[in-house]
Amino acid sequence: MLDLNLNQRQIIESPLDSKLFVSGPAGTGKTTAGVERMRHLLAQGVPGESILMLTPQRTLQEPYLDLLYSPERRAGGEVTPATVGGLARRMCDLFWPLAGEAAGFANPSEPPVFLTLETAQYYMAHLVRPLLDEGYFESVTIDRNRLYSQIIDNLNKAAVIGFNHTEIGSKLDLSYFGDPAQRRVYADAQDCANRFRQYCLAHNLLDFSLQLEIFANVLWKQDIVREYLTKNYRHLIYDNVEEDGPRAHDLLRAWTADFQSALLIYDEGAGFRYFLGADVQTGWALRELCDEYIQLQESFVMSESVAQLSERLVDAIVPNLESKVESQGSNDNSLSIIQSHFYPELLDAVVNEINSLISNSLISPSKIVILAPYLSDALRFSITHRLEAKNIPWRSHRPSRSLKDEPASHALITLAALAHPHWNIHPPKFDVAYALMQSIDGLDLVRAQLLTDIVYRHRDLQLSTFDQIKPDVQERITFSVGNRYSTLRNWIEEYRTSSILPLDHFLRKLFGEVLSQAGFGYHRNFDSVRVAASLVESVKKFRLALDLTGLQDLLGLGREYIQMLHDGVIAASYLEGWQNEDKDAVLVAPAHTFLMMNRPVTIQFWLDPGSSGWYERLSQPLTHPYVLSREWGEGRQWSDADDVQYSKEAMARLVSGLLHRCRERVYLGLSELGESGFEGRGELLRAFQKVL
Amino acid sequence: MYNFTPRPSQQDILRYTGGRLGIAAVPGAGKTHILSALAAQIIHSGVLQDDQEVLIVTLVNSAVDNFEARIKRFFDNPIHALYKYRVRTLHGLAHDIVREKPASVGLENRFSIIDEREAAFIRRESVNAWLANHALDEYLDPSLDQSKMDWVKRDQLPNLLDSLALAFIRSSKDRLITPVSLRAKLDSSPTPLPLAELGYSIYADYQRALAYRGAVDFDDLIRLALTLLENDEEYLARLQYRYPFILEDEAQDSSLTQERILSLLSGGRVGRGDSRDRIEITTTGSNVASGLDTLATNARYSTSEVGGNWVRVGDPNQAIFETFTTASPELLRAFIQNNPSIDMPESGRSQPSILALANHLIDWVMTSHPISEARTALSVPHIVPVPEDDPQQNPPDDPEGIKFISKRYTPDEELEAVVKSVKGYVDSIWDFPDDDKPTIAILVPRNQRGVDVVNALRQKGIEPIELISSTSETRAAAGSLSHLLGYLADPSSARKLSKAYEVWRRDWREQRVENRGLENREVENSGVENRGEESREVESSGLEKGDLSTTQLLNYSSVLLRKVVDVENFVAPQNADDWRSAVGENEAEQVIQELSAFRVVIQRWLSAVTLPIDQLVLTLAQDVFTEAHDLALAHKLALVLRSAADDHADWRLPELTAELAVIAKNERKFIGFSDNDSGFDPERHRGRVVVTTMHKAKGLEWDRVYLMSVNNYDFPSAMPNDRFISEKWFVRSGLDLSAEALAQLTALGVGSPPSGTSRYAPPTNGGATRPPSNEYDFYEEGAATLRSRLDYVKERLRLFYVGITRAKRDLIVTWNSGRQGDATPSLAMSELMGWWESEGSNQ
Repeated sequence: MLDLNLNQRQIIESPLDSKLFVSGPAGTGKTTAGVERMRHLLAQGVPGESILMLTPQRTLQEPYLDLLYSPERRAGGEVTPATVGGLARRMCDLFWPLAGEAAGFANPSEPPVFLTLETAQYYMAHLVRPLLDEGYFESVTIDRNRLYSQIIDNLNKAAVIGFNHTEIGSKLDLSYFGDPAQRRVYADAQDCANRFRQYCLAHNLLDFSLQLEIFANVLWKQDIVREYLTKNYRHLIYDNVEEDGPRAHDLLRAWTADFQSALLIYDEGAGFRYFLGADVQTGWALRELCDEYIQLQESFVMSESVAQLSERLVDAIVPNLESKVESQGSNDNSLSIIQSHFYPELLDAVVNEINSLISNSLISPSKIVILAPYLSDALRFSITHRLEAKNIPWRSHRPSRSLKDEPASHALITLAALAHPHWNIHPPKFDVAYALMQSIDGLDLVRAQLLTDIVYRHRDLQLSTFDQIKPDVQERITFSVGNRYSTLRNWIEEYRTSSILPLDHFLRKLFGEVLSQAGFGYHRNFDSVRVAASLVESVKKFRLALDLTGLQDLLGLGREYIQMLHDGVIAASYLEGWQNEDKDAVLVAPAHTFLMMNRPVTIQFWLDPGSSGWYERLSQPLTHPYVLSREWGEGRQWSDADDVQYSKEAMARLVSGLLHRCRERVYLGLSELGESGFEGRGELLRAFQKVL
Repeated sequence: MYNFTPRPSQQDILRYTGGRLGIAAVPGAGKTHILSALAAQIIHSGVLQDDQEVLIVTLVNSAVDNFEARIKRFFDNPIHALYKYRVRTLHGLAHDIVREKPASVGLENRFSIIDEREAAFIRRESVNAWLANHALDEYLDPSLDQSKMDWVKRDQLPNLLDSLALAFIRSSKDRLITPVSLRAKLDSSPTPLPLAELGYSIYADYQRALAYRGAVDFDDLIRLALTLLENDEEYLARLQYRYPFILEDEAQDSSLTQERILSLLSGGRVGRGDSRDRIEITTTGSNVASGLDTLATNARYSTSEVGGNWVRVGDPNQAIFETFTTASPELLRAFIQNNPSIDMPESGRSQPSILALANHLIDWVMTSHPISEARTALSVPHIVPVPEDDPQQNPPDDPEGIKFISKRYTPDEELEAVVKSVKGYVDSIWDFPDDDKPTIAILVPRNQRGVDVVNALRQKGIEPIELISSTSETRAAAGSLSHLLGYLADPSSARKLSKAYEVWRRDWREQRVENRGLENREVENSGVENRGEESREVESSGLEKGDLSTTQLLNYSSVLLRKVVDVENFVAPQNADDWRSAVGENEAEQVIQELSAFRVVIQRWLSAVTLPIDQLVLTLAQDVFTEAHDLALAHKLALVLRSAADDHADWRLPELTAELAVIAKNERKFIGFSDNDSGFDPERHRGRVVVTTMHKAKGLEWDRVYLMSVNNYDFPSAMPNDRFISEKWFVRSGLDLSAEALAQLTALGVGSPPSGTSRYAPPTNGGATRPPSNEYDFYEEGAATLRSRLDYVKERLRLFYVGITRAKRDLIVTWNSGRQGDATPSLAMSELMGWWESEGSNQ
């Protein structure tokens, strides 16, 4: 049995009709108590399906899911793990006839189309692109995809925080005091948000913001929906209350009374999702609804010296007059510094240290994390490459390559372009050679290029036959490769003359009939198979989202997908199933990602302490996390002092949040020249300077 | 503690306690040195609060490191200086300012900065797009016949418009004009301004292309930093607190916008005598040359003054510009005039005769130049030798060291004569110990002439050093990677395979180079094919019996690989051992082992080729590099190539390889790794001949200097027969279209630039605020062309001055009659030559 303290036991074993609000800093055993409470409920015979387990973000559910998926769980009703957003979507789906009409959709009798972030971005791109040519957003310098996503983000904030989406522009405008030439972008952003919303209503599209608004404004007020929810869910466990937005808190405020039991868990030092609309104050206010309030203080995680380090660092960042921190030197072992001149040297040293921690100090890889404010693909690759060389298992929030960059999917897309000449995508010879190399077992790059040079005509996508090649060159390429090429080529030629399939069907067919067969590249290579499956899945989602609107020309869909992939709109696509990676592994992740995983570790490595990424708030020209928040006084201007204050607080929160999830030691990875060769001298490093 | 003995003028400077101070320094006066000492002194005094830093602003990255290193030497424990100062280029500073609050100026958090090469690329596309839809016929010489006209449009116009666009865009940005505001001005202009319309059109297109990438260029950084400071008082106040002292080096090269940024940061206005400025220079008579400690305790700094503590050091006489710039030496002159100032006239660089020559050039220009408006090109102080107790003594006087060659050479004859002289000189010093060999440079006005010189030297068996600003490490690493990528882009090439092999064994190769002593690594690694002679020796003589040295093995294997007929049989044979037949069945076991080891590596590389470029580069680097700095560079190159690949979706390995080759050849300004990029050091090339332009020679010095092509084409004086490079023969009325375009921009009333309407600055009053409408506000065709001539004349006088002051002991000046045979010696050269013969050498 776990080592639980009295408070925790009290939480876990409280009566089945009690409503508790539990708060405390990270590492005081709140989530542990939450998980044990769930175990307790189940053990007491509460049916799983009557338990609603709510968190603001899915990654935060990990510890609960571990219990739910563990072998000890017998068959039975399943607990519902959810986010408010996820719940909103399900309710919209379930009660569409109700929602469709009340929310003002043009065709409530037609089925709704739920948009993912990517498909929402796709529609946004279609709406905004022509406006850019008219001069919209001329004064901002921003990558187009980020432009689209910030407009979507504004809509989402309106929904999450709970104001009308038509007020976005004026709220931002009223608080603005910067360069006057920038001001008009808020009007542009508002106009685009309006157009998007109208488009959604006209075409039965539901993006995240609309789902949440319909759920909160329309469905929640319907008795039938309330009854459904109340009847189904009798017990609530709501962890990380502080990371949700005010609208979710409003909802829970109305709903908590309906539950038989409720456990609300609030992390005192957190609120990391503020840039997504999280509001600690409205979350804290939910305390009033509970019968009992329990505060946990004692950390199970931090050693004494880590706790001290945390206090001193926070004090250095946000000096507090009443602070009782003595400015003593570091006489502890909670902080080690790894120094180097160049960056790759630092990575070597970090990985060596990890190796020694694992083999000499017998620390399990899962108890070690490598954190940085940002992780470029190159950095992720460099670290994981080094870990692999030492046979150290690792995991990362995502792989170092997006789907677009995976060789296996790249090859499939090239073949798709070859099979669909009417798309008018002409892959360069290099791509064709790589696709052949990837597809045909035993084909090396030299022969692949030789073959491509002869058989492929870029101008009209013609693929000539192997038989037409001169015998001596045939011999160089080898006949076994020749045979396989012929099979692939004939398949493509045949497909070109048959009727066109949707891209995901095409890929499945190509895969099943050729590439997965013996002699072809995907026959034995399971990684490639996994990538191919993810690609098919991604295409399918895209098609479904667009298909149902009935607006899209089916034949152009594949081309459109590839275009989106190239433009980076579908940038967020990574391998499916990535999250099922081995958990007994060193985690390599951005600091924020780690915080959202709700797991303490023994050792943390912090890279780039000189980076300004620890300090700068998410700076976005078209949106603003604080000005749009509920507390922000109407018309109050955002000043430089606010900038400094909020940034410092955010950094203090981050630092303290990380350290509260650290048992023994932080290694500071300090290289004089950073990844790009610049010296970093950010605020975090300065804070450390004061502490050392 | 580093022992620093200040010269008299430096002692004055070290008595600085606050306020504004302008310092005019002569060439070789030790500007970096005194600013470092001053920074160290301020830090020592303990006046800085916890979050405060002395801000040192300089021109180029290599200077940044120079400062860092020097300041640290003033401290026993460098930790004491940690975070007490910050050295930045102006662009670096602007980047710091903008990066803290990008959204306020419409930038995304992680905006990217494109370098000059990428900017040129985008600008060229905008120019081409404009040319596709417009003609410039009204400005072309109507007397040209049709075929010539077509040729001009095809071959000449794109370049002309490109430099016009560069000038127009830079100048607009320096005046903080966006395309939107420019459009509004154009729409309300009463008169048509076709060149401004043209400029607008290209500018708008260029900015759109940048915005599309989410990127800004260097000029945007400066513009946005100023915009931020002007609009955000609180932020400005915060930065003012953070930087209580600003020390600026090379201040003659600052533009008005750059000057305004520093002026705002230092808490005041530019160029006005301000009552709050104070400097107490008290000559107490006490001996203060005893090091900094005394000074530090004596100096009472005040950081509370609002007036601002801003020290500007520069040499207006060395304001020379290779391309269009918005900088102007008049700004610094005005600052020095309107504020407390100190001259730094002592210099230990050159022998007295050379100093006399340079000083006479100043005098002649100031008093006797036939064009009276050109007399402001140079100004005092004169250069004086250092006092006798100075550690860096001037070389002994040697009038014989100065030679003006009056002979009228054709360009080819000039080459021949100089090469002959250099050859004779190099031969005469061949037996000197390496450390005693003198440094030698040939300085030319333009790049093309430099290429000619290099070729002529090579024909005479002299391998010159081409001056390049990045270190050989950068170029060597980039060069190695570009060979590897070059092979992967063309994997069936045996020649490239062999090259890849040599890169893989680069350590052995470098040993060989060291052994040979003479090999010029810089040339070798910069992508130039330069196969060692030994390879051929081995090739012809066959393989000796017994164990091979690594060098022999390297050469032999490399030759074998070059001879492979079907590369696939080596890298991917059908049967496991077939590859041996591809290279030769009967090779020694050692060779076979070597080649099979290489095969394993090359197979890994070939299979990595489908990775994204950044990861491919990292994979290759792990295999070929061991040195930390090489690996660090490879990481940086991976990021650079990744962003190039993202910006150019159609680029594949050949294009990316070409990009690397460009970095290897240093055609691209490569930011970062300034630490290893310590700039060019002539001392490292004793006894060799450095060839470069006078512009690039700025800041450097050699024992013996040749100045070539000092004629009235490269150094015109606005005399009746002078021709001007910027006035194209195919343009109507000899107009300088760039200058005219800028004049039209000014006529729109968008604020006058510091440099008037043209390339180089006419005198202004150094006004802090943008001057209101003035005489230039009415556009009159042709006037700007004339003003531009004058600016060019003045810049060339300064360029000549810079050329002369590069020499420590020997100075040889030649001229040629030009391509058309009608050029004459430049006026300044004639003057100096005449003076030298009649009286100078007797002084």
